[in-house]
Amino acid sequence: MAVFDTPQAAFGALRPVCVQLTRAQTVENVEQLQAHLAGVSGAALQELQEYVLFPLRFALRVPGPKQERLVQSLVQCISSVLAATCVKKQELLQELFSELCTCLAPPPSSGKAAPLSEELKLAVIQALHTLMHSAYGDIILSLYQPSTLPLLGFAVSLLLTLAEQEKAKQIKISALECLQVLVLQCDCQEHQRLDEDEAQKCGDLFASFLPGISITLSRVIAGDIKQGHKTTVSAIRLFYLIVGLVMADKQLARIPKSKEKLPVEHSRLSELMIHRGPDWTKSTAEKLSLLLHKVVESSSVHPHWKVRLELVELVHHLLTNCNQSLVDSFSHLLKALVGLVNDENSEVQSRCNEVLQGIGEQRIVAQNRALADVLSENLHSLATALPRLMNSQDDMGKVSTLSLLLGYLKLLGSKVNIVLNSVSHLQRLSKALLQVLELDVTDVKIVEARRSGPPGPLQQGVQKSRCQKKYFRFFTEEKVFQLLQQVCRVLGYYGNLYLLVDHFMGLYSESSLYRKQAAMILNELVTGAAGVGVDFLQEREAPLSVDDLKGSITSILDEYMDQANWYLVTSIDTEESSPEQSVQHLGLAVRARGTSSSVLHLSPEPPVTTRTMNSNIWQICIQLEGVGCFAAVLGKEFRLLLLSALYPVLEKAGDRTLLISETALGTLADICEACGYDSVRSLINENSDYLVNGISLNLRQLAYQPRASQVLDTMLRHSDANLLPLVEDVIQDVLSTLDQTYNSQASTFLRVLHSVMTALVQWFGMPSAQEHQQRQTDKGQSRARSQGQQEVTMTSQEVERFFLDYVSQKQIAEGDLPDLEEEEADEVPLAKPEPSCDTGEAPMPSHAQLARDVMERCIHLLSDGNLRVRLKVLDVLELCVTMLHPHGNHLLPMAHRVWPALVTRLISDDPLAVLRAFKVLCTLAQTCGDFLRQRFSKDVLPKLTSSLLSQAPVSARAGPVYSHTLAFKLQLAVLQGLGSLCEELDMGESDLNKVADACLIYLSAKQPVKLQEAAQSVFLHLMHVDPDSTWLLLSEVCCPEGYEPPHASLRPVKLSGMGRPRNELTDNVLLLLQRLQQQEGTAPSSSTQEASPS
Amino acid sequence: MALPPPDPQFVLRGTSAPVHTLHFSCGAPEPDIPLLFSGSENGFIHVWNLKTHRVDTALDGHGRKSVYCVETMGSKDRLLRQPGFLRLQLVDNLFHCNSQGRDQRICFWDLAEGRTSLTDSVFTEHVGFCRCSLLKVAQGRWLIAMAARSLEEVGSQNFDLEPDQFLFVFLMSGSDFGAAIQDVSLYLETRGGCQAGHAHVSEVMAVFDFAASGDKAEEWELGELSCGSQPVLLAGYEDGSVVLWNVPMGKALSQLICHQEPVMSLDFDSEKAKGISGSSEKVLSIWSLNEQQNLQVYKTHELVNAGISDITIRPDKKILATAGWDHRIRIFGWKKLKPLAVLDYHTATVHCVSFSDHSNPRDRLLAAGSKDQRISVWSIYAQT
Repeated sequence: MAVFDTPQAAFGALRPVCVQLTRAQTVENVEQLQAHLAGVSGAALQELQEYVLFPLRFALRVPGPKQERLVQSLVQCISSVLAATCVKKQELLQELFSELCTCLAPPPSSGKAAPLSEELKLAVIQALHTLMHSAYGDIILSLYQPSTLPLLGFAVSLLLTLAEQEKAKQIKISALECLQVLVLQCDCQEHQRLDEDEAQKCGDLFASFLPGISITLSRVIAGDIKQGHKTTVSAIRLFYLIVGLVMADKQLARIPKSKEKLPVEHSRLSELMIHRGPDWTKSTAEKLSLLLHKVVESSSVHPHWKVRLELVELVHHLLTNCNQSLVDSFSHLLKALVGLVNDENSEVQSRCNEVLQGIGEQRIVAQNRALADVLSENLHSLATALPRLMNSQDDMGKVSTLSLLLGYLKLLGSKVNIVLNSVSHLQRLSKALLQVLELDVTDVKIVEARRSGPPGPLQQGVQKSRCQKKYFRFFTEEKVFQLLQQVCRVLGYYGNLYLLVDHFMGLYSESSLYRKQAAMILNELVTGAAGVGVDFLQEREAPLSVDDLKGSITSILDEYMDQANWYLVTSIDTEESSPEQSVQHLGLAVRARGTSSSVLHLSPEPPVTTRTMNSNIWQICIQLEGVGCFAAVLGKEFRLLLLSALYPVLEKAGDRTLLISETALGTLADICEACGYDSVRSLINENSDYLVNGISLNLRQLAYQPRASQVLDTMLRHSDANLLPLVEDVIQDVLSTLDQTYNSQASTFLRVLHSVMTALVQWFGMPSAQEHQQRQTDKGQSRARSQGQQEVTMTSQEVERFFLDYVSQKQIAEGDLPDLEEEEADEVPLAKPEPSCDTGEAPMPSHAQLARDVMERCIHLLSDGNLRVRLKVLDVLELCVTMLHPHGNHLLPMAHRVWPALVTRLISDDPLAVLRAFKVLCTLAQTCGDFLRQRFSKDVLPKLTSSLLSQAPVSARAGPVYSHTLAFKLQLAVLQGLGSLCEELDMGESDLNKVADACLIYLSAKQPVKLQEAAQSVFLHLMHVDPDSTWLLLSEVCCPEGYEPPHASLRPVKLSGMGRPRNELTDNVLLLLQRLQQQEGTAPSSSTQEASPS
Repeated sequence: MALPPPDPQFVLRGTSAPVHTLHFSCGAPEPDIPLLFSGSENGFIHVWNLKTHRVDTALDGHGRKSVYCVETMGSKDRLLRQPGFLRLQLVDNLFHCNSQGRDQRICFWDLAEGRTSLTDSVFTEHVGFCRCSLLKVAQGRWLIAMAARSLEEVGSQNFDLEPDQFLFVFLMSGSDFGAAIQDVSLYLETRGGCQAGHAHVSEVMAVFDFAASGDKAEEWELGELSCGSQPVLLAGYEDGSVVLWNVPMGKALSQLICHQEPVMSLDFDSEKAKGISGSSEKVLSIWSLNEQQNLQVYKTHELVNAGISDITIRPDKKILATAGWDHRIRIFGWKKLKPLAVLDYHTATVHCVSFSDHSNPRDRLLAAGSKDQRISVWSIYAQT
């Protein structure tokens, strides 16, 4: 809309308006001028600048009170002129500047600010702003001369007053922005950069305003939140810009020693000028430190994120520009910065991290000793306060406190060693960490949780161990723990590992109160030292060599696995506690002997409470986790340490306390992964020589025996048959040790023997089981065959033949021995296991030999005084029998030797033992067959049958609770086993009758159902052995049908069961008869039954 | 208060045969791994890495016949200049002498840089338990003393004590092992070489024992001794006597009957000029060598159980260890023969004891090999 392009045209247009304005200074005239100005092009207006400005300035200068509206429109008009043009004359700039300032000046009479309208103030501020921007090139610098200092000062104070005291946000912000322009720190791009000298001069100049500006701004920043975040943001920005300019390290470094002398005419001014010498710098820095503290305090918790973001910028700016001059303030600044890392606003967070990163990368801290001192001082005071804070703060507070600590450490980087080298610092820090990490050891469950039985034998997959969740006294938040972890890791990463390890090892051994925490810290230190899982801002200068790391780890491991620290009381089991305790004493004694340096005096053993046990459990777990960490850190290098480390870990894997054994298994998994073994099994297999060595040496000490056996146990459970050659060696050791300590350690060793045998059965048992099955089927077939022959004779209907047979049978019954022998001879090859013929000559395989050796010990132990031992022995015995089964030549003599002791168990022992012994008997019967027949029928059977008979009335009367009693279980077991036993042993007729008699009453419907079923099974077995007599017996009890003689010359069949009234036995007997009939029906030809009406 | 005897520091398993000889090689500085060589009855030599406690290599060169002696040739400085150092061992197998006369060999192995090659071997024709003795006479010159001649010949000689008939002594120079080993005829030449070379010898002497009496020459024991600059030899004989030989002259200097039973083992301390011998009886005999080169009985020590299969004095001459038929290792103070400890671990006869040559006395170990196929390693009196 530039109507007037040329100066001439514009002049023509503007002249009347200007003249009129000069004559009458009214608002209308000004507005008219303004309207005309809009139609003038910038270039034209530049020519007429002074002409147009003249009436405006004139109007402003007219003495006397003026209408505010007039002044406002004048000022607005001026600023619109200035916006379109630029000021090219120094005088004009200065005059305009002062005139504009005067507009705001209070009347000289009153000391207070003029009660001007807000619009006017705004207009003036904007005009000043525009003026500063319209100054041409270097002209602006003319304003920044010592001579203009008063004028500038005036403007600054005006604007500050406005910024501080005005209510309107707009004015505040404008005033602050204007000030920013005034101190030549405008954000916009138009300004040319000041060169160093100019900046230096401005710095000198602004130094005079610094106190005023900084104090006022700090008040603004700390002011009411209602003033809006923009004001605060601008104030903060202005604050750091001006401080950064005046206190810039670069400038201060160039300040000459003495103050420059100004020309004489400026003598008064020279008083105003400030010499930024060292003294001034120092005192100013002190004052600024207070202000900064105030600023940081208020803005770091400001609800608006932009304010906090600006605070980050402030720290960044000052840290980059003034890290020497303002060193004292940095404790606050860094605290703020580090604290903001965890700001809830992600933008603040990321900027904060960026800044921290930048600081780290530029090695600001590393190059600045003073800053490092500040940081370490901060660290020290924080560490001092840390325990208190941890006690009092909530989890959120703890998080921020700890992230502060972490931030300090990260910022210090490698300089952290300065801190660590100071004893007091290190002590504060370590004590703080120790206190914070105190575990909560009140949970009783941990002590109570036991491994239930042997755990799943073979963990195939290597599960990555997760650290056990720990409960701390002073916090619950997971984040807190993570921060603490990071703190330790960062310490390990940057710090001198030897120093740290040494220090914390000292604490570790200093008191049992610290031990767990110290171990936890040590673990993390080492992890950090290896650079695993550490967040850091700057790379450390020299990474740790593997040898150093290994050295530290070896010494820590030695300490962890020291007797006194590794073997702690974790349970008060009667079975285990006493040896454990004595182990401890012995361990201590050994230690005292081994290293003369550490003299341990044995204080009287404190009573073992749940608390201490819990604490001990945790300590062991932490140490185990440590072993895992170390393995992860060293990788394959850890293989060399397996020599000493694997045995103790495996020992713990067999611990009865659930937590410990789980942790140990996790550690094993870690070790596998680190050392490159694909499973725990291969770990154990490939290092079995180390384990065997440990076991064999530990077996030599009475007190260590339980643990050695535990290791062997674990080893066996996690390994396979490849291990046998090595294990064999050590099992021989076990056996010979057992021979020496039958009385004291029997139960311990039995556990081992049990696991040995279980393992052997698992490794080698399979083929023999198949064989056994096959043998069973063979046997079954042959029996079927012989039965079949019998059937044939029965069904041929050749009565004559039947009678011949009958006669011969009768002869046999009367004692015709040759026949009997013949029959037995027939049976012998059947009963004898086929493979035994071959193995008789060949040397026994080593596993069978072991089984025999173990069985030998069992014979001695079978009559041990302790019931538990006896029970265990019976279990082991059963396994031995299974194991030796394919080697009949060896088994039979052993069985012969075992028999007397076993019989005693069967007939006169605790019911529990009887039960177990009966099971052994059944197994033995399976394998030894008729070898036992005679003995069984002579030694055991009478007792069994009589006990069955005597117990029958009791169980018949008993209520439902009876099925939980031991007597019931015994009855059940005997009934369940007896049938097959009879079959296996191929018992004689009289014995069978005894059995049948004893079991018959259990067919009663009054008996518990389970017993009835078991009794039925006995009869079913009996049917296999001798169907006829069973049929007869059953039919004597109850016979549902009559039998017509096939020929009239034969007497009619009369059975006592016929026509009996229904009684309690009827149901079961009928059932059994039916089964018998079915069984006979499946036989090739069974026409006897068919002939009878059915 | 007497402390209970310690347990072995560790036990090496896996030779799968009785162990007859042990030899440490731990003197080399750090990067070198300390090694222990063991020779077992099945003819294998196992090289144990003492850091991992595992077998690094197993050498099989003796046709499943017992290994009786393993020695290393080569020192640290030689190793530096010339990486090849050789292990020498002597196989001596009594049990298969009739069928396998050719198995009585000394084998030379090259183990440098991980090689395991058999470089050479020498037949000894000797049948018996005598171990050879290896002595470094000068740089690159070694003296091996060992029993030669087969059992039959010994028997037919009716135990004439003429040394050249029983001693097989030869000197080899490091540069031409091959030539030295192959022929017994070199004996005279090398003996001359020994005389020429011993101008530099200050403290070495070969000590060597051989069958001397009875119907079967069975027990040969040897040790080392320094006496002036002449290589001399101490030999323990089956008749219970110990004889001092001058090697270059081939002359017996002194004879001392100190046991009723065959001498099984002996060792000599050249500093104190005292030696000790053990036999199959219950006595340890200590004898000394006076300035006139005469052997004298110095003292005897009664043992609880009879039979000492090996005696070794620790290199620092403070203690000595014996390997007993009673399955035990006994430690004595060397000065007064004060019994210090009885190490009870093995379950069969202990065949050999050996002290390690660690440069740091604190690391020093004692190893014992036994018929129970285990090698026990002990750290004992390392502080003293």
